[in-house]
Amino acid sequence: MSLLQATNISKVYGSKRGIEHKAIDNISLSIEKGEFVGVMGPSGSGKTTLLNMLSTIDRLSAGTLTINGEEITRLPKGKLAKFRRREMGFIFQDFNLLDTLTIAENIMLPLTLDGWKVKDMENKLAHVANQLSIDTILRNRSFEVSGGQMQRAAIARAIIHEPAIIFADEPTGNLDSKASRQVMEALAHLNREKEATTLMVSHDPFAASFCERILFIKDGKIFNQLNKGDNRQTFFQEILNVQSMLGGDNDDLQTVRV
Amino acid sequence: MTFRQFAFNNVKRNSRQYMSYFFSCMFSVAVFFIYAVIMFHPEIEGHEFRETVQRGIVAAEIIIFAFSFLFVMYSTGAFVKSRKKEYGLLMTLGISKGQLNRLLIIENTIIAIVSIVAGVLVGILFANLFIMGFSQILGLDGSLGFHIAPKAIFLTVIGYFIMFEVNSLFVVWTLRTNAVIDLFRGARASKRVPRFSWILSIIGLGLVVAAYYIAWTAELYNIFYRMLPILGLIVPGTYLLYTQFSVAFTNLLKKRKSLYFKQTNLLTISELSYKLKDHARLLFFVTILSAVAFTASGVLFGALKSAETEATAFVPQDMTLLSKGEENISQMDAEVQKVTDYLDQEKINYTTVNIERTQARFTEDGNERWLDIISFSDYKMLAGLNGTEVTKAPADDEIFIMLPNVVLPADTNFPESIEIRSENSQQQVAIKTTEAVLITNRHTSYSGVVSDQLYEKFASRAQANERYRTVVFSIDNWTEHAEAIVESMSKVDEEIISGRDASADFYLIMKNSLSHALFFGLFISVLFFLAAGSILYFKLYQDLDKDVAQYKALYRIGLTVKEMKKVATKQVAYLFFIPFSVAVIHASFAFKALQNMLQSSIILPSVSLISCYLLVYAIYFFFIRGLYISKMKQVM
Repeated sequence: MSLLQATNISKVYGSKRGIEHKAIDNISLSIEKGEFVGVMGPSGSGKTTLLNMLSTIDRLSAGTLTINGEEITRLPKGKLAKFRRREMGFIFQDFNLLDTLTIAENIMLPLTLDGWKVKDMENKLAHVANQLSIDTILRNRSFEVSGGQMQRAAIARAIIHEPAIIFADEPTGNLDSKASRQVMEALAHLNREKEATTLMVSHDPFAASFCERILFIKDGKIFNQLNKGDNRQTFFQEILNVQSMLGGDNDDLQTVRV
Repeated sequence: MTFRQFAFNNVKRNSRQYMSYFFSCMFSVAVFFIYAVIMFHPEIEGHEFRETVQRGIVAAEIIIFAFSFLFVMYSTGAFVKSRKKEYGLLMTLGISKGQLNRLLIIENTIIAIVSIVAGVLVGILFANLFIMGFSQILGLDGSLGFHIAPKAIFLTVIGYFIMFEVNSLFVVWTLRTNAVIDLFRGARASKRVPRFSWILSIIGLGLVVAAYYIAWTAELYNIFYRMLPILGLIVPGTYLLYTQFSVAFTNLLKKRKSLYFKQTNLLTISELSYKLKDHARLLFFVTILSAVAFTASGVLFGALKSAETEATAFVPQDMTLLSKGEENISQMDAEVQKVTDYLDQEKINYTTVNIERTQARFTEDGNERWLDIISFSDYKMLAGLNGTEVTKAPADDEIFIMLPNVVLPADTNFPESIEIRSENSQQQVAIKTTEAVLITNRHTSYSGVVSDQLYEKFASRAQANERYRTVVFSIDNWTEHAEAIVESMSKVDEEIISGRDASADFYLIMKNSLSHALFFGLFISVLFFLAAGSILYFKLYQDLDKDVAQYKALYRIGLTVKEMKKVATKQVAYLFFIPFSVAVIHASFAFKALQNMLQSSIILPSVSLISCYLLVYAIYFFFIRGLYISKMKQVM
């Protein structure tokens, strides 16, 4: 059984005059345990809406969604929050670290909300901080460290409670190329070593080339799907080709790097 | 879009932020205006109370105005600070310093005009109600007419307009725009780790404790000297408590990991340490405002409630009439008859007792002192009228000096033994003290109780002008007939009856002067109190956007709505009730100082008053909390 199973899901934004806009139009997809899936598409194609729906932040207009054997569509709001807290990890474009907390406290936050013991939390923290090589900045405040470090701290927060699936929304959107590489390598590493199932939305072909499988979305529908072969470089080229085929906004195309 | 339209739109589109500020301004304008209406009311001119009441109104007007000035200055400053980023953007777009200043001044002027107009309108709406209440409290026959003097409108509009303009000039003058980057950072700058110093925290705590000690031990004779030192200690002490001690305290909480990392405590405590530091000055301001409100109204209310007990303590018998010398005493019955006739006519029940006294003197520190003596059996009977039982009788060589209930310490330093002398008698006696059952004889310094034998020895040989007679009245329900009693007392001839004292007289004076003071005091207190509340509301509203973004992020990583409510409720509650509690503690020490001076307990009146404030505050708290949470819920 797949870890995440979405069947015929749609999202409709209705206006008062009865004109409806279908942001997501009857999409079905499934993600297996340990997969690293990317979602790409031009601006306005509905990729962030899709992520919000799959991550239970946004309600579905139609269709069913099952994560880790639990049918999400049936859960009440309070339970949904608890479900997210235990089963999901989130990584955002703007990091969303609380600046009243230290990096360490930010990372421990999900465990704290779940009422863990201090000793257990600290063990966990030491472990993930080591994995993401952010041990040295744990005592700092969020605004005292670089963007790449902030995003790695956010990743640490997303994985500290060993969620069933990690959702990443443009994780490299605010980062320069060096920091992007560090963050993507960290995510890929987690995926390989820990079998951390990850769904990432990005418009950056370089970031996307770290995925194993990429879904392309256009006008709320799945347009194409790419699987990574042995070589990331070739995969990157293929991504660029599909992007130009999609013919989205020009600014979504980036010059070749790496 | 012209420049003025731009300024106008700025206000219009920031109206949510400006709302609470606008309401507070409008409220103080309205209150000021209503007082001005009374001050310039044409019918008030003819009344006898004009002098005192008008002085009260003028004092109230000055306090309101001074307070509004501070409030507007604080609020405008806070606004400008919160919009620094916007000014930074405007400056990168090339706005000149002069234009920026003009923008600020135009914006402030718009708000000023709107709140003045709205305030005067609201004032006119409520003026009649207020005039009626005012007439009621001053006990006027029939209400004053509804009349709004043009002078009142003029004074309010001009006064407030100048105040707003001066304030905006001041804010413009203090807004430093050296580097655009500083403005851009402005919004984020407050998030630095709160710092504190242990030494300052301890000094703050020490100052407050010292002020409490001074207030606790204050007595009637030294309270006036102590008032300033208390203020001088409590104000900076409170300030340090908020800026230093609060952070020190939350830091201690953070060190206790099992507490700090317990579920939502992590969010609550860390947010709180920032908010406390960020809002230290505001909380300090609110605390002082509330403490002033509580103390002023509590002291006045307590004193008013205790008027009856105080009057009884000061004038132990309901009414006493005193004559000196045989000649006057022989005519006394006729004069007393006038009083009893009046009391009968008013259908007031009473009983009378005649007490004979005689005069003596003694030498204290080389000075001659006069003293009158009464026999122990008379003393015992008078005490019985007041419902106290006397068991210890003076021996033949003892005198019990009656101590009045309002004593200065110097009065109690008697030598151990004195020789009392009259024209024909003398006796060496040991001095003891006892509770007064009669008001001090106005012809002598002291009154003393001696044994019946000793009294007889003096009385039987007393000369004509050494004799006194006191007629003591016990009157049923004297507080209800206070005015009639005072009236009856005025019937007698002052030449014959030289001492006329009634509890009712003292009671009426105290009650009247206090009820005027309470009227003004309560009004200003309520104003201060409302201002304190609206400042808090205003601050919460300013932080709202930041908080919304934060809760949005927290919601995604799985904070439930229930948990959000818990955290938000705690945070809002701390902001509301920390200053409230500190103010209550401050005020209770002031009440204790008042208690030291009064005979009756003021616990009940002060507790009931504080409960009223608490109730209003709690309603306000739930209202704000509801608004805050519904705002947060929108993003969750």
